[in-house]
Amino acid sequence: MLREKQLQALADIVGEDHFSAEEYMRKLYSHDVGALPGLVDDILKTKADAVAQPMSSEIVSNLLKFCRKNKIPVVPRGHGTSGYGGALPTKAGVSIEMTRMNAIYDIDHDTMTIEVGAGIIWSKLLEDLEDEGLTVRAYPSSAPSSTVGGWVAAGGTGIGSTKYGGVKEQVVDLEVVLPDGQIIRSANPPQEFLDSIEDHDYKYLANEDEYLWAIGKISKDINDITDLFVDSNGTLGVITKVVLRVIPLQTIRPLVASFERKEQMVWAMQDLMKKTKPFYLHFITDGFFGMLKEVGMAPESTHPWLILCAFEGSQSSIAEEEKLFKEAIGDNFGVVESDHLGEHEWAERFYPMRIKRLGPSLAPSEVYVPLKNIVSFIERCDKHFKGESFALEGAVTDTGEVAVLAWFLDDERKTISFLMGWYRSLDFIEMGLKDGGRAYSIGMWNVAHSRSFYGKQELARMASIKRKTDPKRYMNPTKVFPGPLQLSFRFNLLILIVAAIAVPVVLWIANILIGDLLSQYISWLLVTDVQSAILAFGIGLIIGVAAIEVVNWVPITFMLTMGRPFLRLGRKIFH
Amino acid sequence: MGSKVFEKLKKDALDAETLICARCGFCTFVCPAYNDTLWDSQSPRGKLYQLRELIKNNKPIPADFADRIFKCTLCGACQEICQTNIPLLRFWQQIRQEINEVGHWPEVVKFLDNSIQESKNIMDLDQEDRTLWTDMVDDIVEDKIGVPAKVAYFAGCNISFKGTLAPIGESTAKLFDHLGIEFTTLGENEFCCGNPYFVAGEWDKAKELAEHHLSELKRLGVEMVVFNCPGCHRAFNEEYPHMLGSESTQGIEFIPYSEFVVRMMKEGKLKFTQEYNHVVSWHDPCELGRHQNIYNESREVLNAIPGLELREMKHTKNKADCCGGGGLLKGTNPLMSVRISERRIASAEKTGADILSSECPSCMMSFNDGIESKNSEIKFKDLAQIVAEALGL
Repeated sequence: MLREKQLQALADIVGEDHFSAEEYMRKLYSHDVGALPGLVDDILKTKADAVAQPMSSEIVSNLLKFCRKNKIPVVPRGHGTSGYGGALPTKAGVSIEMTRMNAIYDIDHDTMTIEVGAGIIWSKLLEDLEDEGLTVRAYPSSAPSSTVGGWVAAGGTGIGSTKYGGVKEQVVDLEVVLPDGQIIRSANPPQEFLDSIEDHDYKYLANEDEYLWAIGKISKDINDITDLFVDSNGTLGVITKVVLRVIPLQTIRPLVASFERKEQMVWAMQDLMKKTKPFYLHFITDGFFGMLKEVGMAPESTHPWLILCAFEGSQSSIAEEEKLFKEAIGDNFGVVESDHLGEHEWAERFYPMRIKRLGPSLAPSEVYVPLKNIVSFIERCDKHFKGESFALEGAVTDTGEVAVLAWFLDDERKTISFLMGWYRSLDFIEMGLKDGGRAYSIGMWNVAHSRSFYGKQELARMASIKRKTDPKRYMNPTKVFPGPLQLSFRFNLLILIVAAIAVPVVLWIANILIGDLLSQYISWLLVTDVQSAILAFGIGLIIGVAAIEVVNWVPITFMLTMGRPFLRLGRKIFH
Repeated sequence: MGSKVFEKLKKDALDAETLICARCGFCTFVCPAYNDTLWDSQSPRGKLYQLRELIKNNKPIPADFADRIFKCTLCGACQEICQTNIPLLRFWQQIRQEINEVGHWPEVVKFLDNSIQESKNIMDLDQEDRTLWTDMVDDIVEDKIGVPAKVAYFAGCNISFKGTLAPIGESTAKLFDHLGIEFTTLGENEFCCGNPYFVAGEWDKAKELAEHHLSELKRLGVEMVVFNCPGCHRAFNEEYPHMLGSESTQGIEFIPYSEFVVRMMKEGKLKFTQEYNHVVSWHDPCELGRHQNIYNESREVLNAIPGLELREMKHTKNKADCCGGGGLLKGTNPLMSVRISERRIASAEKTGADILSSECPSCMMSFNDGIESKNSEIKFKDLAQIVAEALGL
């Protein structure tokens, strides 16, 4: 907990009206779209101590300087619309929410770029750009409420990514406040900053934790480090301004086709990627369709395997692509649905969670899988998650991968079963890897995939910046760089109490069962009376303290990897 | 009290909606109260999140949270955009009722309750003053009060008692007169429609008012009631049958002013011939638009007036922003209400319109406050005023 004096100092920096340490505010700014099993709240410090909403980069800088000096963890946050834990506190601290930095600073028609505050909402940006005859090349499916900075920090692909790539391909430059308070432009950072990054030889150590601290190399010939900050989940600093590529606003033509079988649908998508350049190519499985039907939101299509394909361009280029679309659908035994259905599905592109009503909880997971392996992947999931209620949807990217999103239905009121069900989100990514895929976003839960997600070289470079600017790792701890967990006070206390009670009880039982044997070697340890019980209790306390020390240094990756088989087994028993 | 907390919500199976909320936050940036504060505690998502915990732990709504819940215009934008189709309007009404159960209703709501119970109107004024609005059209209305007729005009408390809103009623009376329509008004027998109770979630308290009005209308042989106030219209059109059963309103049609004008146009009884050279921006009132899905008639009327140019704001129809006057916000949080109104006026100004129009006395009050506070050049006119002026009445 932060002291009163620290809270006041933080409020003074950000302004009283833009700061809160009220209990209800702390909770509101400590969640994302995913529901956490209650146990996670018990184990980690998942509630921020305070919430700050800075209005300027300078305020962010002052906040970070203060937090660094006072060793206060900082968790940057957009609007909390991700489900991968990137914006969740793990060691309490200050949640910095960016939605007040929401201005459009510059629209440059010559370079076709715009500069915006990281806290601007995508839908608001799209609306304002419309007045200028412009639009962004890609935006997330959470556009009605997600911030530009949030998507840049979390990474990923979205609507428009089939043609123009993911968020990384949209960002030209960033203004970032580094953990030490320095404000830099990522496309042109100060030379002294680049020079100050230690130039270590590339070295990978077996222990993932040592990895971060043993390596670090920024090549002297790299001047633009924008890519390192995109999808870094706010571990390297707070993104305050974003320069994005824009394009002229053109017509969007959404078309829908349905298929009887998944193979036909995937063949058609492969054909479409070969012959046309869709702005957005998305599918839902028959399982997803069935769930939509249950909530009364299914489109009236001929078949249940559905693709939405939107073309963007001039009227003539769209007409040409529409012709090719119809050919591809016909060649693969699909049915081109009505224009009305196309418009409906286009409007529904923001609404993947319609089916949540059936839960009432949803556990999401997402993985990239090559389009050519999608059939195998869907079959693998069907087999692996037999007995679970889940729905899949996917959007094809410009590189021919599919960002496959799984929604597992659940009920968080069934505490144990819900906790055990957590394995599904982790297993889903493993399933994707088996089909040649890779993790979609790292956040907190996928931190075990950091190395393969970023690539060794990029992660090394990110680590260099981290090491230089945030050696104590107070900036969004436990994300991207898999550090040790720091358990909550009550969980540490629980370990201590359990150890202190367990030791005398175990020794007492041992005395009853094999007392004769033990008395030959450790007679002084046996619990035979009150005095020896007190001694054992003391030993239990010492063991408890030692256990706390050990457990608090267990990396999150270890916990998630080792815990998964137990969760899987538990789910089978309790579900 | 513990076990009875959220009893009615649970009875209507609405308690699970807090779990069904996807926390996607789509509702936040369309919420006028959230946009006024930019704090999630004020957004529908944030409120649902807090309620989820209270419902789970069976704890009553604390006073400070009750205050935040009433910082809401009940505009329904959250329901419109909701990812999981939560019936949020009904939900917020139920929560307001729950707040009454735990004794945290705001003072202004308690005043309205007392006033309606004792004076049959929301102003705590004498019912004898119900016909104050007719002062300027006395010659038209004088012999229409309480007489049997097929068409009735229901002015509502705001138009009846507030002098600044009387021109809406006057314009409507002039149109009836112009069309030669024999109409009736209930005069002193016109009570509050019950809308404040619906807004505050106390349907039971409105039952008596509904029964009174329906019995009076039937006694006078009324077949059609025309409303300038969409709040009153929704009370008769949706809430009365909901409370008393659909058979209770059989034989009587309740229509908003715009629909009445469109019918007259279609029947060939009304035609606009004079030039009305104004640029008008249309604001969809929440109670008519999002709440009842009525959008087209007003536009049909405006487009029929020669010289009038209709320029739509960016957010219209089901995506229209609120005027700030709904949900009793004007009474509970007047400053927030004015700020919300100013934002909507700014959108209207962007269109270049010289007139901002709507068909709602509550919107008129809000916009006039906003125009004054913002020092805006734009003028607000109700649709009834525009129609009367365009006809030269």
